[in-house]
Formats: sequence, structure tokens, C-alpha cells
Amino acid sequence: MAGDGSPLVSIGQSPGSPPTALPAFVARPPEGFYRSLNPTTKLVISFAEAVCAFVVRGWTGPLLVLVVVAACALLARIGRSLVPFALATIPLTISILLVNTFLYPGATDRIVSIGPLAPTWSGLAAAVQATLRVVAFALSVAVLGLTTQPDQLVGDLERRGVGRRAIFVIGSTIRMVPRMAERAAEITEAQRARALDTQGGILARVRGVLPLAGPLVFGALTDVEERTMALEARGFSAPGRRTVLRAFPDGGGERLLRWILFLGTLAIIALSVAGFLEALP
Amino acid sequence: MDWVSRQFPTRVIALIPIAIAINIVLGYTVQTVLKLPIYLDSIGTILVGVLAGPLAGAFTGAASNIIWQYAPGIGGGTIGPFAITAAVIGLLAGLWGYLGVYKSRPAGGPQLLLAAVVGILVIAVLAWRIYTSPVYGTDPNEGGYGSGVYAVIVGIGVVAAIAVGGFIYLRRDAAGAWVAIAGAITGIVAAIVSAPIAAYAFEGVTGSGADLIVAALRQGGADVYNASLGQGLFSDPIDKTITSFVVFIILASLSPRLIARFPLGDKIVPESA
Amino acid sequence: MTLRLDGATYRYAGSGTPALRDVSLELTPGEVLGIVGANEAGKSTLCLVAAGLAPATIQGRLEGAVLIDELDTRTARPSDLAQRCGILFQNPITQLSGTAPTVWEEVAFGPRNVGLTLSEVVARVEEALATLGIAELAPRDPGRLSGGQAQLVALAGVLALHPAYLLLDEPTSQLDPYGTRLVGDALAALVAGSGAGVLIVEHKTDLLDRVCSQVGLLQDGGLTRVGPAAEVLADPQLEAAGVEPPARVRLARAAAAAGSHLPVEALAG
Repeated sequence: MAGDGSPLVSIGQSPGSPPTALPAFVARPPEGFYRSLNPTTKLVISFAEAVCAFVVRGWTGPLLVLVVVAACALLARIGRSLVPFALATIPLTISILLVNTFLYPGATDRIVSIGPLAPTWSGLAAAVQATLRVVAFALSVAVLGLTTQPDQLVGDLERRGVGRRAIFVIGSTIRMVPRMAERAAEITEAQRARALDTQGGILARVRGVLPLAGPLVFGALTDVEERTMALEARGFSAPGRRTVLRAFPDGGGERLLRWILFLGTLAIIALSVAGFLEALP
Repeated sequence: MDWVSRQFPTRVIALIPIAIAINIVLGYTVQTVLKLPIYLDSIGTILVGVLAGPLAGAFTGAASNIIWQYAPGIGGGTIGPFAITAAVIGLLAGLWGYLGVYKSRPAGGPQLLLAAVVGILVIAVLAWRIYTSPVYGTDPNEGGYGSGVYAVIVGIGVVAAIAVGGFIYLRRDAAGAWVAIAGAITGIVAAIVSAPIAAYAFEGVTGSGADLIVAALRQGGADVYNASLGQGLFSDPIDKTITSFVVFIILASLSPRLIARFPLGDKIVPESA
Repeated sequence: MTLRLDGATYRYAGSGTPALRDVSLELTPGEVLGIVGANEAGKSTLCLVAAGLAPATIQGRLEGAVLIDELDTRTARPSDLAQRCGILFQNPITQLSGTAPTVWEEVAFGPRNVGLTLSEVVARVEEALATLGIAELAPRDPGRLSGGQAQLVALAGVLALHPAYLLLDEPTSQLDPYGTRLVGDALAALVAGSGAGVLIVEHKTDLLDRVCSQVGLLQDGGLTRVGPAAEVLADPQLEAAGVEPPARVRLARAAAAAGSHLPVEALAG
């Protein structure tokens, strides 16, 4: 950041006030306590939660992460919006619960015996732990998604020095995926209307993939050449850094928090590799 | 440094977002909407690896899974931690690209026959390897699902062998044999990389149709890790072989003039074009 | 200061026959030059070569010289060329960066790429949007525009780099009638008012008839005729080359065949 005498420096020092030069619809200052944190801080929090949920085994990791996620959600006032994300994990958690409760390798502590079915306590415990892990992970992802505009996160990463090529790939992808998903949904709908039923037998569904993949894939790939030339014609491969449009508030406290989370995550991984976390309940 | 930057010219940068979107959208549609028992979520990754190189492929794979995890609406699930697998798939695809696996090799007569036989043999060896795999453990008569799994393996093996042999023969292109080998190896490696991730992060259950295979293997006496490995060794070689052929067909349908402009284009387009 | 092609012959990589044969032309700031030709006559290739994208970005072999303000396109950096020579392609969608949530940020893509100061970026974006009369599109999502609107946004993105030369490759060929008129009107106003040298390559001749002072005819990769627009566009050679003359000319011919004289020159302006 050193060396650029652009107005963004003063913007960074006065949190909340949008740069006067940018139109309001470009500045888009985030509002609310958790939302207005620096996007990168929220990303680091989310990654730390994910690592903690998976690496700290047993009950400790998943429950700890769930408590933190719930606290963040309350601060951001998005508790209710999290419900659909929790519900979305149900098919997965049912699968985890069933397979592990009834078929946990090596477990002998049966809960009951019903014919060939033999649910075990250790299987159930492992299943519930895995379920909590999955739900904690899903909700940590959801809190980031609900409180952070993707292009603000990308913009902040670019300001921090991530290269223009990586930034373009991420920025372009997060806008392209919903569009392409929309088109795919339209095509599958059209297939369904033409009785290439997506609910039918396997062969019918395999035949359904080809007309789906064809236009989707080839349409996109033949565009690559034009996109390449258009990018070059707009100075994409110019040397040096791109102009930063917006700087997001980033106080000393946040910087400290990110370092603590970062070092803490490394410490947890190191402890786990060394086997010190096995003793946790 | 030059080796790195040569894999990321503007043309590849323009391709990667499209490749990632194809991975995510096609993968999501195939698994969730069409409910097919394969993934088809690495077509873009292999395409980029083959056209641009190992690093570009690895980046595409890893970015696909991470962005998929965070994508609103179709995201979530268990896809994120498998970014490691996706990166390895991309790395391998870059290797296949360097080796010229996807270069069209028009052939006829005995050469074509040999290629078709090699292709069928690859599938047969794979199917046999899965069939006799120790992870399936005990006597199939003991487990309720055991014999069913064996029948499915044999059935899919026969269909795959016919498909690969027919593909090579009908297109009169010996490259099909190499593509089958590359796809199968990619699948085996992907399974080996995925198994510990699935076991460690999700107790081996990932919420897809493949969970049935995991359950069947556990019924047969496999532990968490080996059940996941067995499921992977079953699904991944099939999926990656299909994916490799899809990529081969895509490359064959795109204009050679456009392919030649990619970093590894000269390893794909026959010299005569 | 000119954009100059000097005996430019260009072959695509892997192709033996040249797509462009011995083309010489000169474009000075303020001049509006039209190029007509049938499909496959080499019109798009001419634009790519003149902009320096061929051979720098798409390889191939260039003989002769292409100089943009004395910068040789074979050796100059693409980003340096981009700030001197802008190019508008046919497809409105693929030209957008696809990374911007608003039209405003889409137009800012180019100026940000070359690292202008923030205040300069803001000024250029506002100016480009105002020039094309699309300031009200600024807060919109670039992915949800009509074809004509998207093409104008793409053009604004090019103008924001302040090119001294502007190459337009069939700018309305992929638009519906409404979009064609929208973009045509904006282009006519732009060309009249900007000091840039403009090269318009077209299959349809009506736009050229409206805005060009000079028109050249491209046939099988070679420039076979260059002259005042009214003269070239009325030349029967045009139809032999597979190009339909503008409506004005067809109208005059039909009138003449019916034995009357229409003052169609008055319609030109």
C-alpha cells in the first residue's frame, strides 16, 4: 500500500464515510456491527471456524465453533436467515447418522438388537459428532455469505495485493456461476418439457446430460477467444497494480484479531498433528 | 518463475472462470437434479490442465471446490475439503497434457485393433482390481449387500469396456486407449487422496448416492477409511474415465486454430493441422 | 500521429493462405473511414491486425508493418496499444469483463487496469457514460442489459481508455433492430463529436453511409478500392463483391429505373 498517494488512504482512516468521488451505488458501505467488519476479517474468522470444526476432534471443536457461529449470527442479526442453511444439511446428516449408527466398524456396544440391525452407542456418538461438525462448518460458511458481499471481499483482497489475474478469476467466477446455473435450470426444464424426464430411468437421464452439457459447455468455450481479445484490448495485461476503487475500514483491533486467529489456527493444526488434541472430550 | 507464468497467459485466465463454472454447474446438475451416480465435476479442471499445464489445472480444481462451497443456492455440502483432491486431479491433467495423451492419433488396421484391445484391457484390469480388492473383505454371502456390489461391478465393467472399445474403433483414433489409461489412473489417485479426507472430516459419509456403497462395504467388514477408499476406487475411475472422454470429445470439436493458441496447444493439435 | 498499415499481409497460425493481403491504409485522428466487404472477406482480421491484437495475442504471421503512433504492433506491449487504439467487437456480452456488479464499475475496468489515479478513473467513467448518453445505466447490473445497451456499455469501457483511434468491427451485427438503432444513433453522434480516428468495418452499409467520409472495399483479403463514401457506396462493383448498397442508393436506383430522379443526396446527412 505504501507509495500510492491516492485518496484511498484517507478513506481507510475514516471508517464508514464513503469516498466522496465514487457514486453511492459503487461505494456501497456495509451497515451493522458484524457486517461492517473488514471483509478479510470475516473470511479469516470463517476459515478459522472451519479448521477448528474439523481439526479439533470429539465434542469440543464442533460445539465451540457452533457457539462462536451463533454469537456472530446474533451480532449480525441474521439468526433467522441461518435456518434454511441448517435445514439444507439434513439429507447429509441423516445419511451420516444412519450409516454410522448402524454400521460403525468395530463397535460392539449395542443399543438394541432388532433382527440384523445393530445400532451401537459408539457409532451414534461418532455420528452426532460428525453431524455437529458438518452443521458447524455449513453455518460458518453461511455467516460469511450472509454478511459479506463477494465483490467487496474480492476488492479488499485486491487492495491487499492479490494479483490481478487471481482477482479476475475469482471475481468473474462468482458472477458467472449463478448465470450459468440459471441457464442450466432453464435447459433441464426444457428437457423435462420435452419428456426427457430427469426423474426417469438411468438411461433416460444419461441421455438428458448430453443436450444439457452440449450448449452449456460449447457456448462458453467458444467465447474464450473473444474474451481474451477484449481483455487485452482493455489493458488487462498492463504492468503494475490496478487502481483500487474502495478501501474498507480496517482498524488495529481487527488486524490483531486476524493475527490471533491465524496463529491460533496454526497452533491447533500443530497440536493436532502432534497428537495433543486426542485427550479432549 | 517462467514455467509458472507461462501457464497463466490472458487466454488461460479467460478460460479458468468458465472451466470452474462448468465444474460447479454441471457437477451440481448431474448429482442433484439428474441424480446420476457419477460426479462429472472435473471436466473444466481436466480441460484447463490439459490445455495450460499442471499448476493451472491444480488452481482450477482447488478454486472450483472452494467457490462451490461458498456459492449461494447451490453451495454447501461436503465439497470444500475435497479441494485437495481436485487440485491433484488438475496436476495430473497437466501431466497428461505435457505427455500429449489427448493428441488425436488417427489409426487403422492392426494398430487400431491394438488400441481398442488396450482400452478394453485397462477397463478389465480396473474392474478386476476392484472385484478382488481386499477392502470388500469377507465372503459376499455374509453381507447382505456383498453380492449386489459384485454384480454391479461386473455389469459396469462390461458396459465400460464395450463403450471404450467402440469409441476407439468408431472414431478410428488410437488416442482413446491413452485417454482411457489416463482417466483410470486419475481416478485411482483421486480415490486414494479422497479417502482420508472423507474419513477424517465426515466419517466417510458425504451425502451422495455413493453412501450406499460405503454402507455396503462396512456391512462387509471394512473400517471407516477402507470403506471410503473402496467406494472411491469404485466411483472415481469410472467417473474420471468418462470425464476424460468428454474432455477428449470437447477438444476434438473445438477449432484446432483456437486450441493451438493455448500453452500446451501444440501437444493436442496434430502437426499437420 | 497516425494509425498506419503498410503493405500488411497476415496469415493465421497454421494457415498457408493469407487472410489479409498487402493492405495499406492510414487513419488520422478525426477521420472516419468505413470498410465494406462480404463475409469472409477479412473484415474482422483487418480490425485485429490494425489493433495490434494480431499477431501479439492470437499469433500468426504478419508481413509489412502496422504502426500505431509509430509503435510497431509486433513489439509493443498490448496494454500500451490499448491506450492508443480501442476496438469494439461484435458480441456485446463477451466484451464485458464479467467481474463488475454495476455498469459504472464495468466501464472503470480498463482505466483501473492501466493504473490511473482514482480521481482520473472516476472522471473518465462519468465522461464515457455521458458521451454515449447512458449515464442512467450506471447503477445497473451489466449482466441484465439488452444487447444494444450492453454494446454501448462495452463501447463506454473502450472510450474510457481515451483511444486516439477507434476500430468498430460490425458493431451492430449481433443486435436486434432496436439495438441496432440505439447503437447506430450513439455511434453517429460519437463519431461526429469525438476527435478520434474511427475505422468502421461493416457488412451493412447504411451506418457507413451516415457517418463515413471515406469508404474502402475489402475483397478476398485485399483492399481493392478506396474513395469518397458517396462514390464507393454507389459503385455497382459493391454488389459484385457481395455487399448490399445502402437503402438510399437502392432507392435512387429504383427511382431511376422507373424514370424519375430523387434528390437522395439530401438524405445522406
